[in-house]
Amino acid sequence: MIEPCHDVVCSFWSLLNEGPMTLTIILHTLIVLPMVWIYFDEKKKMERGDIPNE
Amino acid sequence: MENRPSVWSSNRFWRRSATWVTGVASVLLVFLTFDSMGQMKMGTAADIKNKVDKRIPSPLVINYKIDYKLNKTRGHEIPIIGGMDANGYSKYEEKEKFFGKDNWSEKEAKALIHKGKLTIQAKNCMDCHTLLGNGAYYAPDLTKAWLDPTWETLASAYGGKEYAIAKFLENPPAMAMHERKMPNLGITKEEAKAVVAYLKFMSAIDTNGFPRNFGKIKGAVDARK
Amino acid sequence: MQGNRLYEGQKLALKYFMVAIVLFGAQLLFGLVAAIQFLYPNFLFNILDFSIARILHINALVVWLLYAMIGAVYWLLPDEAGIEVVGVKLGNLAFYILTAAVAVVVLVYLFIQIGPGKESTIWFITEGREYIEAPRWADIGIVAVVLVFLYNVYATVMKGKHTGILVVLMADLIALAGLYLAGMFYTDNIAVDQYWWWWVVHLWVEATWEVYVAAVGGYILIKTLNANRKVVEMWLWIEVAMMFGSGILGLGHHYFWIGTPEYWWEIGALFSALEPVPLVGLFVHVLYDWGKERGKGNNIKNTPAFAWLTVETFGNFLGAGVWGFMHTLPQINLYTHGTQWPAAHGHLAFFGAYVAILIGAIYLAIQGKAGLKEMRMTKASWWAITLITVGVLIMSVSLTISAYVQTMVERGQYGGTWEGYFIAQANQWFVQGMGWRLFSGLAVVVGYGFLVYDLLTIDKKQPAEVREGAVAAA
Ligand code: HEC
Ligand code: HEM
Ligand code: HEM
Ligand SMILES: [Fe+2]
Repeated sequence: MIEPCHDVVCSFWSLLNEGPMTLTIILHTLIVLPMVWIYFDEKKKMERGDIPNE
Repeated sequence: MENRPSVWSSNRFWRRSATWVTGVASVLLVFLTFDSMGQMKMGTAADIKNKVDKRIPSPLVINYKIDYKLNKTRGHEIPIIGGMDANGYSKYEEKEKFFGKDNWSEKEAKALIHKGKLTIQAKNCMDCHTLLGNGAYYAPDLTKAWLDPTWETLASAYGGKEYAIAKFLENPPAMAMHERKMPNLGITKEEAKAVVAYLKFMSAIDTNGFPRNFGKIKGAVDARK
Repeated sequence: MQGNRLYEGQKLALKYFMVAIVLFGAQLLFGLVAAIQFLYPNFLFNILDFSIARILHINALVVWLLYAMIGAVYWLLPDEAGIEVVGVKLGNLAFYILTAAVAVVVLVYLFIQIGPGKESTIWFITEGREYIEAPRWADIGIVAVVLVFLYNVYATVMKGKHTGILVVLMADLIALAGLYLAGMFYTDNIAVDQYWWWWVVHLWVEATWEVYVAAVGGYILIKTLNANRKVVEMWLWIEVAMMFGSGILGLGHHYFWIGTPEYWWEIGALFSALEPVPLVGLFVHVLYDWGKERGKGNNIKNTPAFAWLTVETFGNFLGAGVWGFMHTLPQINLYTHGTQWPAAHGHLAFFGAYVAILIGAIYLAIQGKAGLKEMRMTKASWWAITLITVGVLIMSVSLTISAYVQTMVERGQYGGTWEGYFIAQANQWFVQGMGWRLFSGLAVVVGYGFLVYDLLTIDKKQPAEVREGAVAAA
């Protein structure tokens, strides 16, 4: 399933691109996962009640 | 619901998320761009000598024979410069005369490419044709125009493909093949030579297999032979 | 707005809108010329060749949209911030300089057209790069004018109220202006050239302009439906997250075949495939607000503006979302790239995403100028919106059919050669598509006539009860 790199230049990004959809999965995770942390951080603040009224 | 606030409907959560997402996507784009720019630098004389495949080759490719062949490993056609080795990659050996000589120096070749590109922009080729597939759709794609089978058939009558294309560019209506004609854009002899050099150079750019099956009429016969 | 009194910033907005509508007319005119040449190639041959007609068509498009975008910001800025636009005199000066520069560029395109293959042509005649053909001197002028605009916006918001809509706009406009710089340099390397060219074209229409539209759309919702500001602003942030999240790396769908590395296949395919998601979101949001307010028995305060906003949300989703998605995967794009496909998508997307909402913003300004509490559609408004929308829709469908012929015959069957290109161009289905495009273009032009008439007269054509409301308010 994972094939050796045949790109013209095998850079760091081509290596992440080796398996099926690995590159996009990694990038999407990197972008979306921290939102989970933001969510719980906001929740904590909300429960503590230190959200300023906007 | 009104009195139990939810994070999902809080502006703060979405504002922070939007800032994060935008920031990280932008940073990723910057890193990817650095990597791509490195890979897309124009090749040099040394690259040709050392047989290094470059996505954008050295302007010196005008001294070589250029072809566009299916590469089994990469699964699509790739430019073949100076003959093909057993694995389907460029050999950088077979030369081909371009306007009478096959020993254009790096400096001369670069100057030709420079003038060619300027002319292509100054005459708005991109607003009738596509180049690398981008532009207008009023006339054929020029990405592999240098390799077009029609030019092969015209070559001998003009003493070589480059002479035929240059002659065409200097006064296109005189050589019109269709009712939809290319107008005379006042391209001088010097400019025509430079544009042809650019077309030859462009046909050697590695476009990841675009256009597919170029010149294989009806999908079976290779019209470039 | 206090009764009939406008802020100076809003008067400046009206000037921008006026030029925008004139340029819209020019765009359609040159579009017709180009469309006729597809069918009758000798039409204006050697006088106004296809390339020149097309440059005028698409440059007029981009410039009028920018004018209308600047106009809409000058319109809502004092209203949102609650104060007069800071530096509005400078803003007026910038308007006249910009308009003079645009006039010079147009005259040069029309009468000089092309130059010799030298740097001086790039500086003074044309840069020869689709959409941003404007010569270098004009680029620099545009940057200067935009800096004045940005100064006006920033200084006004700093002094006045910082609403969520204004904060998003401030961040977005600086990105929008900054991206223009990416298209301002020359290189012999055509792959690098196109790489940066797409930073302007794609990162404008699929990132910064979309976010602009989300912000201005929010403002129109508040104005026409009295939508809840907090909810509108929450949606706005969600839109920003999704649009920038998918659109910035979605840029990769232009990096499949231009000499760029292979990894862009995967990045471009999957990020751009997500780009339609926020467009669905926008659509649902507007319908939801509409239903809610109508449910409460509230009237729409400006029916033509709201009707155009509805066309926008649906057109954006259809033209950008659906038509964009149809050719965004590299497996498909390999055969559609460089055919009429992008043209089919480009027409519906530009119209749906930007033309419609900016016309809506202009209607909002007309209501404000006349000091009407409520403004209703006239017969002319109805004809304008119907003819233009249906016309562009038919145009895009026709182009799609022609595009299919090109993909199948020129590219699939003949491998994209000179000969293959013309075999496909002569195919009867291709030619019919071109015919329908011309026909529907004429419908759009008639619709444009109704639009201009309506914009000039709608305030006087309001029913008595609406006009009395205005008197009472004044
Ligand atoms: C006004 C539109 C227009 C402009 C501008 C234009 N062309 Fe053309 N070009 C055409 C048309 C139409 C044809 C097809 C002519 C025919 O088949 O008779 C064509 C054909 C060609 C061909 C032969 C087709 C092929 O695939 O090899 C080449 C090469 C070419 N043009 C190069 C250029 C270059 C280089 C420029 C810019 C300097 C340019 N053209 C500008 C319209 C244009
Ligand atoms: C309002 C938003 C959009 C506008 C105004 C727009 C406009 C355009 C235009 C004008 C082109 C042609 C460019 C050229 O001249 O070469 C284009 C190309 C393209 N668009 Fe969009 N677009 C939008 C959104 C989208 C979305 C959301 C997607 C994907 C889901 C998409 C996918 C594509 C693709 C794949 C191409 C490249 C075609 C090619 O060169 O092969 N677009 N777009
Ligand atoms: C009278 C109506 C119109 C006609 C007849 C018309 C015609 C044309 C023609 C002939 C082209 C050249 C396509 C090619 O290169 O093959 C074109 C390109 C284009 N037009 Fe129009 N047009 C019209 C209205 C519009 C409108 C209303 C918009 C925007 C909302 C628009 C946006 C564009 C864009 C973005 C391109 C470039 C497409 C690309 O390169 O992919 N046009 N138009
Ligand atoms: Fe795009």
